[in-house]
Formats: sequence, C-alpha cells, structure tokens
Amino acid sequence: MEQDARQESPLIELIKVTKVYPPDIVALEEVSLQVYKGEILFLTGRSGAGKSTLLKLICCLEAPTKGVIEVSGRDLAKIKPPGIQRMRQKIGVAYQDFKILEKQTVAENIAMAMEVTYASKRAIRERIAELLVMLNLSDKHDKLAGELSRGEQQRVALARAAANRPTLLLADEPTGNLDQATTELVIRLLKGLNEESGTTIVVATHDESIYMETDHRVMDLCDGRISVHASRSKPRQIELFEALPA
Amino acid sequence: MEYLAYLLRQTGRNIRQTWGTQVMTLLTVTLSVLIFSFFFLVYTNLLKASERFGDELRLVVYLDKEIEPQQQPQVEKKIRSFSEVEKVTFLSRADAFARLQAQLGEEQDVLADLGPDFLPPSIEVYPAKTLRGLTQINQFSEYLQALPGVAKVQYGREWLERFGSFTKLIRVIVFLSGGLLIISMTFIVSYTIRLTVVSRHSEMEILRLLGATSAYLRLPLLLEGVLQGFCGSALGLFSLFLLYRWICDHFTAPGVLRLFEFTFFSPEAIALILLSSILLCSCGSLVSIRRFMRI
Ligand SMILES: Nc1ncnc2c1ncn2[C@@H]1O[C@H](COP(=O)(O)OP(=O)(O)OP(=O)(O)O)[C@@H](O)[C@H]1O
Ligand SMILES: [Mg+2]
Repeated sequence: MEQDARQESPLIELIKVTKVYPPDIVALEEVSLQVYKGEILFLTGRSGAGKSTLLKLICCLEAPTKGVIEVSGRDLAKIKPPGIQRMRQKIGVAYQDFKILEKQTVAENIAMAMEVTYASKRAIRERIAELLVMLNLSDKHDKLAGELSRGEQQRVALARAAANRPTLLLADEPTGNLDQATTELVIRLLKGLNEESGTTIVVATHDESIYMETDHRVMDLCDGRISVHASRSKPRQIELFEALPA
Repeated sequence: MEYLAYLLRQTGRNIRQTWGTQVMTLLTVTLSVLIFSFFFLVYTNLLKASERFGDELRLVVYLDKEIEPQQQPQVEKKIRSFSEVEKVTFLSRADAFARLQAQLGEEQDVLADLGPDFLPPSIEVYPAKTLRGLTQINQFSEYLQALPGVAKVQYGREWLERFGSFTKLIRVIVFLSGGLLIISMTFIVSYTIRLTVVSRHSEMEILRLLGATSAYLRLPLLLEGVLQGFCGSALGLFSLFLLYRWICDHFTAPGVLRLFEFTFFSPEAIALILLSSILLCSCGSLVSIRRFMRI
C-alpha cells in the first residue's frame, strides 16, 4: 500500500526549510521531508525541538525563513491569500494551544470549521454529534468551551480539526493531557479518518505509547534537525526511508 | 442558497451582539437623512415654485401717452429686437380701466370719482421661456425703460430678488446638510462596524485559521452597512413624509403655502436618497473593514 503511494508525488514536501524566529532563535534548520498521500507520520523530539513550528509552516501560520514548502506540488509562498484560505479548509489542524473560543459552546466551536465551507446546518449537526460520541464528549455539547478541563478542550480541538474530513490533518500533541483510555479514543478517531477518508495525518507527540506499536513512519526532530527516520516495528520501511534524499 | 442563509445568519448575529450601538447608529442615520431631505424637499419645491413664477412673469411698461394702433407693430418690433418675447399686449387707458373694473367686481364704485382716464396706457410684455435669469430680466427691463415714451417698467423685481436669494440660501443649507449627512453616515457606520470587528476579533482570527474566505468574513459586515443605510434612510424619509402630511393638514388653507403648492419627493428622488444612503453606509463599513480587519 504505502509503497504504491510513494511512487506518486508527495502531498507535502519540505526542501531545506529553515525557520528563524526573531531575533535569532533557530527553530528549524535545513529540514527536508516528504509526506505521502494517505500516510500517518509521527513527529517526535524533545520539547523545543521544532515540532510545532514545522506544523505551523505547513498550514501557513508561519512562513519559512529559507527553503521551499510544497503542498500538492504547489509552492506555498506563491499561493495568494484566497488560495491559502481554500487550502486551509482542506487542512484540519489541532493546535497545541487548542485555539478554541472559550466563550462559545463545544458545538459552536466545532461548527465553525464546517461553517466556513458553507456546509448545511443539518450536516453540521450530524457530524458534531458523531464526533462527540467518538470522543466521549456527548454530554458536553452545549457546555462553554472555557468550562471544560484541558483534556476535554484538547478533544474539542481535535474534533474541530476532523470535522470536515480534511485531506490533511495536523495534530499537535493530541494526547498530551489524556489518560490511556481516552488516548485510545483519539487514536481510533485518527485511524478511522485515515482509513475511511484517506486523510493524511501528521502527529507531533511526546507520547511514545501511541506510535510504539504501529508500523507508521516516525521522525525524530532534534534541535531543529531531523535526526532519525525510523519505524519501530517494520524494517521494510526503514529501507525505504534510507532511500530518500537526506 | 446556503451562502445567502449564512450571510443573513451571520449579519443577524453581528447586529445582535452590538445592538445598543446599532440602534444609536440607526437613529443617527435617520436623523441625518431627515435633516438633509427636509431642506432638499424645501429646495425642490422652491425650484418648482420659481418655475411657476417664471411662467407667469410679465413686464408692465407704462407709457407717457397712448400709442396709435398703426405704431404698435413698430414698437413690438423694437421690443422683440432685444430678446425673444412670447407675447406683447397693448393696453390703452380705457382697456386698463375696464380690466380694473372687472377685477374689482361689485366694489367698482370706488372708481366712480376717478374717471376712465386715471390709469396710464401700458404694454404688457411676456418674455420667452428662454429668458430666465434675474440679470437678464433686469437688462431687458432697462432696455424697455430706455425706449422713448416709456414712463416706468414694473415686474415685481424686489420680490423676485428676495425669492432668488432665499432659494440660494436654501441651496447652501442643502449642501451643508448634505455634507453633514456624508460625514455622519460614513463615520458612525464605520464606527459601529469597527465595534463589531473588535468584538469578534478573536473569533475572526480563528475563522481565518479554519480557512474562512474574505467574502465569508467581510460580506456580513458590508451587509450590516447596507442595512443601516437602507433602514436609516427609509425611516428618515418616512418621518419626513409624516412631517409633510402634518404641514399640509395644518397650513394648506390660506396664505403662502397654497401659493407654493407643496409636493413630496418624486419616486426617483426617493430612490436616489435611499441609494446614496446605502452607498455612503457601505463606504463607511468598507473603511472599517479595510482598516481594522486584516486577512
Ligand atoms: N513565536 C515564537 N517566537 C520566538 N520563538 C519561538 C516562537 N515559537 C517557537 N519558538 C522557539 O522555537 C523553538 C521550537 O519551538 P516549537 O514550539 O516548535 O517546539 P516544540 O517541538 O513544539 O516543543 P513542545 O514539544 O514543547 O511543544 C523553541 O526554542 C521556541 O522557543
Ligand atoms: Mg509544540
């Protein structure tokens, strides 16, 4: 499966991307990376390694200082604002700091993602109910997001990212505040999305438990550089990674 | 269809969120339109009235002595040589006396002692419609005055001059209140829209991250301005109409207003006022959108 996917052009391609925050904080240095359609990629690394920065670059929240980022073969730097907005509708992002509106209800927060695509009210209602069941938040439908626990807010952020069944989903620490059982729910949601809708998923995480037993690609960032291309269980894929340009 | 539903829902939500200010804005727009359209209405009626006076305008040339009937064509030719004239009527002493008698009707006894010769002979000159300006009429009257045998030329000059300067004054007020209208509308509307933008700032940031197009974010704000312009001006015009009806009911019977034959705006003028208010308010909201919303 994955082998087939790799023969086509990657969904995301970073070519020697450097990100320097002012004044001179180097968050990423000459990072090159490809993410293929339908793949699940785990991004690991110590705190401050640049995981969030990398995700922000892909969704155009930040611009790279140097290097080229292509999504679906298009250079992000050359896409005009309306194009960026259209692209963002197809990218679901669960931010590390959630970026949810505390004064609005859980349902309203999730609905926002679908409203910007002019989805029908009914479709929105049904999708929200479905997501809340999957994430065990059904009783929180009309609660204000600000009154939720961190772990609950985190799941709301993920639900919002998944609402449109996006082509690409970026999840920044989606399980940081969750217990084992709830982490399971989140993983199941992501896997389901990947299998049913073919969503490409990039997960930035510290949590070894969520990638240890999978055969998905894992990439380790260290001080803004890629240090290890590895898959913990399947040697077949290690070979493939080594074949990629460094 | 879904687009329209979204647009209306969002606009409604924005207005609800800042409804106190919305009401203030609506009142301001209403008041500005009321003030402006009041003076504009007075002005258009003055113009109409002056047109009517123009139709009735005539210069009366009083003569020292009667003109013999055979001389009349020559005199008329002289008059016509200065300017286009619609009609020239020659009145002998007897004609003038007869006319006065007719006008007085039953009270013609007062003329008994005066005898048929007390009124001077005269020529009545009705200038052509092209001769309109007060200065042109003045020149014409001076020309007539200079003709041999002319004692005096009369045409209600003072009255016309006063009416003319009053019309000018109203025109200035119309311009001033129009300026006020433009300023108040654009400022107040851009202020309210700014409030909406600020109150929804964090939400808009997030919507942007979620891929909201600028149409999604901006159209509701623009529609808010359009609605303010439409509702405000409609309300202003409606209040003016009520005022107009009240004036008509109370002041029609005798006197000056009857002379003016006050009329309300034509449908075209109403449409023009509505449209320009909408345009101004949209400009106000565009200003705010451009200044306070970055996307
Ligand atoms: N907006 C910013 N301005 C300045 N420096 C920043 C900014 N965002 C991140 N950094 C710096 O860039 C580096 C990488 O940050 P980043 O958030 O990408 O790390 P991370 O891998 O996501 O860490 P964590 O696991 O703690 O979330 C850090 O040194 C951080 O201090
Ligand atoms: Mg991070």
